[in-house]
Amino acid sequence: MNLDRDAIKAAVRAKVIELAKNLGMDASDIGDDDLIPATGYVDSAAILELVVWYEDAYQMPLKQEEINIDNLGSINSMTDFVLKRKG
Amino acid sequence: MAFALHAPRVNNNDDIVQVIAFRVGVGDFVKQGDIILDVETDKAIVEVAAENEGYVLKLMCAVDDKVAVGGILLWQGESADEPVPEAPVAVAAEGGGNARPTAKARALLKELGLDAAALPASGERLTLADVEAYMAAHGIQRRDHAPAATVSARESLPDVPGELRDLNAEERGMLLTVSWHRDHAAATYLEVEYDPKDWEAHAAAYASENKLMLSPLLPLLAYRYVQLVKASPRLNATVVNGKRFQYQPVNLGFTVQAGETLYLTVVRDADTLDTKPFIEALGEVQRHALQRKLSREETTGATIAFSSMARWNVSRHIPILPPYCSLMIAHAAPKGSGRAVLGASYDHRVLSGFDVARLLMELAKPPV
Repeated sequence: MNLDRDAIKAAVRAKVIELAKNLGMDASDIGDDDLIPATGYVDSAAILELVVWYEDAYQMPLKQEEINIDNLGSINSMTDFVLKRKG
Repeated sequence: MAFALHAPRVNNNDDIVQVIAFRVGVGDFVKQGDIILDVETDKAIVEVAAENEGYVLKLMCAVDDKVAVGGILLWQGESADEPVPEAPVAVAAEGGGNARPTAKARALLKELGLDAAALPASGERLTLADVEAYMAAHGIQRRDHAPAATVSARESLPDVPGELRDLNAEERGMLLTVSWHRDHAAATYLEVEYDPKDWEAHAAAYASENKLMLSPLLPLLAYRYVQLVKASPRLNATVVNGKRFQYQPVNLGFTVQAGETLYLTVVRDADTLDTKPFIEALGEVQRHALQRKLSREETTGATIAFSSMARWNVSRHIPILPPYCSLMIAHAAPKGSGRAVLGASYDHRVLSGFDVARLLMELAKPPV
């Protein structure tokens, strides 16, 4: 597990792009602050997959109430949340 | 130490199998997967294979005997001279006596690992119907006991090269579901179309208010469904042994596709939850499904069910009813069509088309 900020961002971005690709979408231009659910690249089921991957990748079980826009809404916020919890 | 080979469950309806032929005798050494005997039910003849290698120590039944499912067919051991434990005779027999389980009830109790003393009897004997009612009330489902090699000598294989393989646990579960739908439910389907705009606006407002990551559209639809069923308990029932079984809790089954596996996850006592706790509970079981960490409580006991294939852009899908579940809603919303569909598979033994159509029409509108 690499907890370097750039490495986390790259990993999250790669996962979003992979999930979007499964749905026939190209998310390669997604911005670090774009609201992931609002981009239209991934649907709710894919976001759920993203959350499950995130928990596993960073060994960080989430409480249901933590799964919200403030904590996980964008690539940057997902990165910040890992660093905050692991820091 | 000696170990037993039990009579398998061949299908849902037969609690007894009849021994047709033994292919081994006492003293024979058999390997795992070797065919040991043939048994027959009302519907099929199947070969029963050894679950473990070992010597045949004692046959507990004879050709033409009828044996309760789960009963001991024979004993095996690691050596040919091991002692055989004292055990109940496997041959099914109608016995007398007060407050004792009937043979069929006893076989089912054994299959489920239940203690007869824990179950209420409706009469002097604990009957199969009593056990089935208890199962329905507690969300207990029968395991599929299809043996490893179930192609009988009389059942022909396709005239095409191929290979038989065992079903995995999920495939066995699906086979059980499909079999119950086919053999028990009087399954019927109807649907209504609706304009999804109001529901989408309702879900968007809820998501914004609660800063949700995931669209709450399907959870809110499912919650509304639970509330409507709670208000009309008649919708929350099944048929057991020719009688209506009215469920007390509303346990919502909700399909989740995890890779290639389709799970029916279950939110128990959904009727007791408010909106937010319900959405959180549903999110929790969905995550457990993707993590392959579902508990037994999260996969059994659905009294009603909901499935959406909106993600896959299908215009209609007709669900299979899970065991002891009389109603399953199917949601579809073809992209770009400006319309959505709420369909329902339902057990016509329990529900009428009027019951279901009225429910769907109410569900098509978000709560005021």
